[in-house]
Amino acid sequence: MNGKEQLLFNIGVVDFTLVDLALFLDTHPTDRRALEYYRHYAQIKKQLCKEFSKKYYPLTMEEANCEKAWEWGAAPMPWEGGCE
Amino acid sequence: MWSYEKRLQFPVKIKEPNAKLAQIIISQYGGPDGEMGASMRYLSQRYATPFREVAGVLTDIGTEELAHLEMVATIIHQLTRNLSMEEIERSGLDKYYVDHTLGIWPQAAGGVPFNACEFQSKGDIITDLSEDMAAEQKARTTYDNILRLITEPDVCEPIKFLREREIVHYQRFGEALRLTTDKLNEKNFYAFNPGFDKCESCKG
Amino acid sequence: MQEYQEFSADVKFQERPLAMAYVKWQHFDKVYDDLEKAYRSGTIFPDLNKPFTGRRCVQ
Repeated sequence: MNGKEQLLFNIGVVDFTLVDLALFLDTHPTDRRALEYYRHYAQIKKQLCKEFSKKYYPLTMEEANCEKAWEWGAAPMPWEGGCE
Repeated sequence: MWSYEKRLQFPVKIKEPNAKLAQIIISQYGGPDGEMGASMRYLSQRYATPFREVAGVLTDIGTEELAHLEMVATIIHQLTRNLSMEEIERSGLDKYYVDHTLGIWPQAAGGVPFNACEFQSKGDIITDLSEDMAAEQKARTTYDNILRLITEPDVCEPIKFLREREIVHYQRFGEALRLTTDKLNEKNFYAFNPGFDKCESCKG
Repeated sequence: MQEYQEFSADVKFQERPLAMAYVKWQHFDKVYDDLEKAYRSGTIFPDLNKPFTGRRCVQ
């Protein structure tokens, strides 16, 4: 994996951790350990996404630069990987 | 409402096209126990739930299923990309290609188009959660059936991921059912529909 | 703020009423240390990781 793929993969790992924790918290809303884990990884995801959108392209519309051009539209679509 | 993150929940990087496999895996896109049915089922059921925690579970799992729908579409897209006309003819994909070329269209492997009869939204929380638990098991079995047909690791990895998510979702719906029954009278959970009846017994 | 119910005590199975399905309540116990392994498995909870190992072998 190159630098971009590795960073995207890491975002995937951290975001997935948050998703699995979020589903657990939906049925266990006051679980202290789960809440602590969630807060910890939410911070990491924020930082990683900021790094990715600065270096490569925006992953969300909010992160997109709209000064010179509509950066959001130019970013590659997620299904483009594989046999190129 | 929904935001979109321009990435797949789990990577899909398939190097070898395989039209035969694509025709099978399409069942998890538009088939009776596929991700479109799952997302529409949970997102439809959430409005009539009387308990906010359960509506939360349905919303969050329904949203995750949309991300899975995207993954399944990506798998099919990458399995059918750059196929020659000979491969399309030889594999039997010609029957799909004539109506859709290589576009992604929701149908089951057997050709039945996706439709709302593939799911129910009964407006009764116990019934809906029971349907959801069954739905997750049906999806899991479908993934088991797909795994028996695959040898390529590129395809195996995202399928195994999607299958495991069904098992986790089953656990969460089971817990949502526990949350529900704990709010009802244990002498008779079925005395009334907490999302519809205004009281247990009404005259007139 | 809404009060959420605590489920710290798991009611004995035998005490639960008939005609209802019950799924065992999960407690926040083990979580994979290796998050990449968790990602590839499809869950951060080892207790929920149930891989498929079936194959049809015809004689």
